[in-house]
Amino acid sequence: MPRSIRWLLAALALALLPACATGPRYAEVEKTLPKVAADKGRVWFYRSGIMFGAGIQPSVLLNGEKVGDSVPGGFFYVDRNPGSYEVLLSTEVDRKVTFTLESAQERYVRMTVGLGVIVYRVYPELVDPAEGRKEIVETSYIGGKDKK
Amino acid sequence: MIGRAPYVLLIAAFVAACAAEVARTPSVMQPAADGYPRLLELGSPAEVFTGTGYNRVLAAGTRWRLTGSIAQGAVYRASEGVLTLEGANIHEAYLVVRDRDLVGFFLPVEKAYSPLPQAVRLSISNP
Repeated sequence: MPRSIRWLLAALALALLPACATGPRYAEVEKTLPKVAADKGRVWFYRSGIMFGAGIQPSVLLNGEKVGDSVPGGFFYVDRNPGSYEVLLSTEVDRKVTFTLESAQERYVRMTVGLGVIVYRVYPELVDPAEGRKEIVETSYIGGKDKK
Repeated sequence: MIGRAPYVLLIAAFVAACAAEVARTPSVMQPAADGYPRLLELGSPAEVFTGTGYNRVLAAGTRWRLTGSIAQGAVYRASEGVLTLEGANIHEAYLVVRDRDLVGFFLPVEKAYSPLPQAVRLSISNP
């Protein structure tokens, strides 16, 4: 195998080292998570375990406040007062998602890996709750700022 | 064979990274006046060309709840699920409907109206 290819594979392996979330699976913790208070809404954040861009693990900012990290295969949640919210990841390209949150409402923000101009990047998407509930079971709890 | 692929990928990535911001103007939503249907149900899918490069298809059978009104029409939000308008950023969006035409979107966080390049006639089959 040519030396350049070996170096490339080694670099790729290094990039993937910090890869996937290692916490308990959603199904294991689902029943232990507190219910959202009646006067608050819940925002779930999750990212699939896809390996592309696994080394890119930006901070998750909710209205400018860091609430967790975007880790492949991981999920967390925060409970917040009803109002308007903006999610931004600390990646090289700013791409925010904005949405409203109502009392007892649950929102799902999926963090997706895409190809940027030069490197992979991660950006947030607001997804349908049914889709979010289905996809989040594949992920593991990594805890956010509201970790219990 | 591989020759052009990297360039095509690079151009595609560049275009994606440079998506246009959603055009909008400030707007204030008021309580809906009487006369608007409280609920809309789409009888057939509606393909919506948004002009941002990210088009939307409103599925048949989806229901939309009257939420208010703005100068451009009545505002309806998804009864279940979520609708977003996407450009350089992604925004939660409500429908703005006038005389059975979808004329644009209301962005509740930005409190703004985003017009469609061309209105879309909705096939409404109210329950």
